[in-house]
Amino acid sequence: MILARHAEALLWTGRYLERAESTSRCLNYAANSITHLRGDEARAEGELMVRTLGLQEELEAVGPLESQPQLVAFLLSDTDNPGSVVSAVIAVRENLRSVRDRIPIELWEEANGLYLRFPFLGHTNAAPAGLHEVLLMVRRACLAISGILNEGMRRDEGHAFVVVGRMLERSIFTVGLLEASHSDARGTMDATRMLRLTSSLQAYHRQHGNAPDPDGVVRYLLHAPDLPRSVLSCLSRAEEGLTGLGANAAALDRARRKAALLRARLELGEVEEAMASAPVATLQDFAVQLAGLASDVHAGIVPPLAMATVQAQYVRPGDAGQPGDAGEPGHAGEGAS
Amino acid sequence: MVDPLLEPGAGLLDEYDAGGWYDEAFDADGSVRDAYSRIVERFRELDVDEIKRLEKLVADEFRRQGITFTVYSEEEGTERIWPMDLFPRLIAAAEWDELARGLTQRVAALNCFLADLYNGGAAAVADGVVPRWLVMSSQGFERNAMGIAVPHSAHCNVAGIDVVRDADGRYRVLEDNLRSPSGISYVVENRAAMAKACSWLFYDHAVQPTEQYGQMLRSTLESMAPGGGDDPHIVVLTPGIFNSAYFEHAFLARSMGVELVEGRDLVVDGHSVYTRTIEGLVRVDVIYRRIDDDFLDPVAFRPDSNLGVPGLLSALRAGTVTVCNALGNGVVDDKGVYPYVPELIRYYLGAEPIIDNVTTYMMWDPDQRREALGRLDELVAKPVGESGGYGVLIGPHATEQELDQARATIEAEPRDWIVQELVQLSTLPSVADDRLEPRHLDLRPFVLTGERTQVFPGGLTRVAMRRGSLIVNSSQGGGSKDTWVLAPEAP
Repeated sequence: MILARHAEALLWTGRYLERAESTSRCLNYAANSITHLRGDEARAEGELMVRTLGLQEELEAVGPLESQPQLVAFLLSDTDNPGSVVSAVIAVRENLRSVRDRIPIELWEEANGLYLRFPFLGHTNAAPAGLHEVLLMVRRACLAISGILNEGMRRDEGHAFVVVGRMLERSIFTVGLLEASHSDARGTMDATRMLRLTSSLQAYHRQHGNAPDPDGVVRYLLHAPDLPRSVLSCLSRAEEGLTGLGANAAALDRARRKAALLRARLELGEVEEAMASAPVATLQDFAVQLAGLASDVHAGIVPPLAMATVQAQYVRPGDAGQPGDAGEPGHAGEGAS
Repeated sequence: MVDPLLEPGAGLLDEYDAGGWYDEAFDADGSVRDAYSRIVERFRELDVDEIKRLEKLVADEFRRQGITFTVYSEEEGTERIWPMDLFPRLIAAAEWDELARGLTQRVAALNCFLADLYNGGAAAVADGVVPRWLVMSSQGFERNAMGIAVPHSAHCNVAGIDVVRDADGRYRVLEDNLRSPSGISYVVENRAAMAKACSWLFYDHAVQPTEQYGQMLRSTLESMAPGGGDDPHIVVLTPGIFNSAYFEHAFLARSMGVELVEGRDLVVDGHSVYTRTIEGLVRVDVIYRRIDDDFLDPVAFRPDSNLGVPGLLSALRAGTVTVCNALGNGVVDDKGVYPYVPELIRYYLGAEPIIDNVTTYMMWDPDQRREALGRLDELVAKPVGESGGYGVLIGPHATEQELDQARATIEAEPRDWIVQELVQLSTLPSVADDRLEPRHLDLRPFVLTGERTQVFPGGLTRVAMRRGSLIVNSSQGGGSKDTWVLAPEAP
């Protein structure tokens, strides 16, 4: 049995952990490729990256991309951008902190250690020297955290929520990447880029030779059952996690059925068929379906408990708001005795 | 040329001067007390570089684990690394036994008093042991607690009694904390850090372990379930991750193997308390709360509290859940009640107090007030409702102006103040830059009461960081020491 709040925190841990890793990978790719791209091309690549990560709105708040350092700051250290690496690292730590009593100590220590390695946190937005080292450090820490999750954590509901969160985030990323690649302003789809951004280049080469064609790569990233970042794999694993959770929680069982439905649409070739005529629209529709799945999972965590009636019994309107409404809610309450 | 490896630097304890205070490691003529002989020997073998290395090792360990505490008055960097001094405090077996007996006695009497006040006929008040007006005017007295059944009459399940040693080395109680005493997690983590960084220090010492606290607390709380049910559902209630003691709350839940909940995780329905889980509502039997009374239930207490559970008081009244510590314990944390505790021990237990109070003057008594204010420059004035060292005036360290101001404040509101003789707290060697110097300290042992009472071996030793300072509170820059209760010597 898991508290709804703990379930939510662990779900977000999974999502932000995945986000920290994938944004680091994207940033690394962008930083490397932009060095040999000129003016407009570099800008197009930067914009494509932002689109892949679904951060167009966040970027608008900052203004148009003018330079590589600006892109790096936006994706690495901008704490106002929830999609930046640092925001994700902070979120992983904060979420794990709130479930500190029920996770392996090593898991907390690794997440806390990653956070502590950003000495500039909370002070400036300046990126540290040695971008490559920083990104490598983040990805290694994410892998270490994944290792502890896989090998050090009991396969309880908490573990299942982390997995579901990761798989949701990952499938959303992969679909976002495919959709953005189809809309590349440069007019061509870069097959190698798609494979690199999903850490799948080597696997593809071994299975399909080293001259990737864009359509083949899209199929691969959607359907490959043995590729950890294919949309099909992610949905299968999310469904598996939700199957255990849904046994006693009816609302989560609805989310499981939706995951199964989306998986079936892929497996039965329905998505591929639709993509033949309208690839972008199909991918956009699939992205909407995934977002719907994510909100179903969130809705399923807090089951309808007739809260409205219970609260109405005891709380006068306006008396007690949501936590966080009042300034510094946690700073009061326990005396220093 | 001198080989630095063969020529030891100046010893860390070479110039140690206890400065006329009662030092727990060295007696007045400078010789080492028995219990400390081996530790002192080990520290004599260390040099500055090694001490610095060990200090870094310990600080890194605390930082990595996020063992921090929060200082609210500071503008930024509110999370600070927990400071621990490397020189441990040792308590010999016989000395500890006596102290533990005294603590058990004191907490037993205080529990009797609370049960008498809230569920008895307030006999001690009727018999004039404690004045009625004093109890009634106490900020900590909680009318809502009247008549709420408390299993085993154990109103205080976890007490932290602050004790000090005076100039003669005698233990005295300085303060009672029966609401939400904090610090136990640091006791356990201090030991873990010492064992990692300085395991060699423990050789030849049979030190009582500390890691069993979770088990002790859990069995205490289990015995508090309403109706004495088997395998009760216990939760720890925290204000949340921004609270200064959040680390401790998570530690307690983890070491007991129970859920750490916030107010918003709990809901009251039909006079029972439930946790909100993904599978629906699950009934709760015992809440170990680390939230003050005022914040527990916005319906009964502060309506602006986001931390509590609406309707909790109704569940308490219905007897479906036990809240630990019970409501209303603040009345004995009121320093106005403290001077009466020795009399309460005699009244309820028919025995003389094993540990004395510090000599205290009650400002609401005109004669005592006149005497105390006349020599306030030698005494300590404390507001009755504060804790954590806030608002305390230490006469000998105060200016004439501060003393005058304090006199006026006390004359205006005598109920709000007590004045005590200044206790020159005992000292122990503590790391100060490149050597060990005496630093004053106190001790907070923890007493657990459910079906029976147990004293946890040792407790939190807090130490002032500056020479001569008597302020040991961590919120005001104090540090801590690992506290070793030694097992009895083999015959």
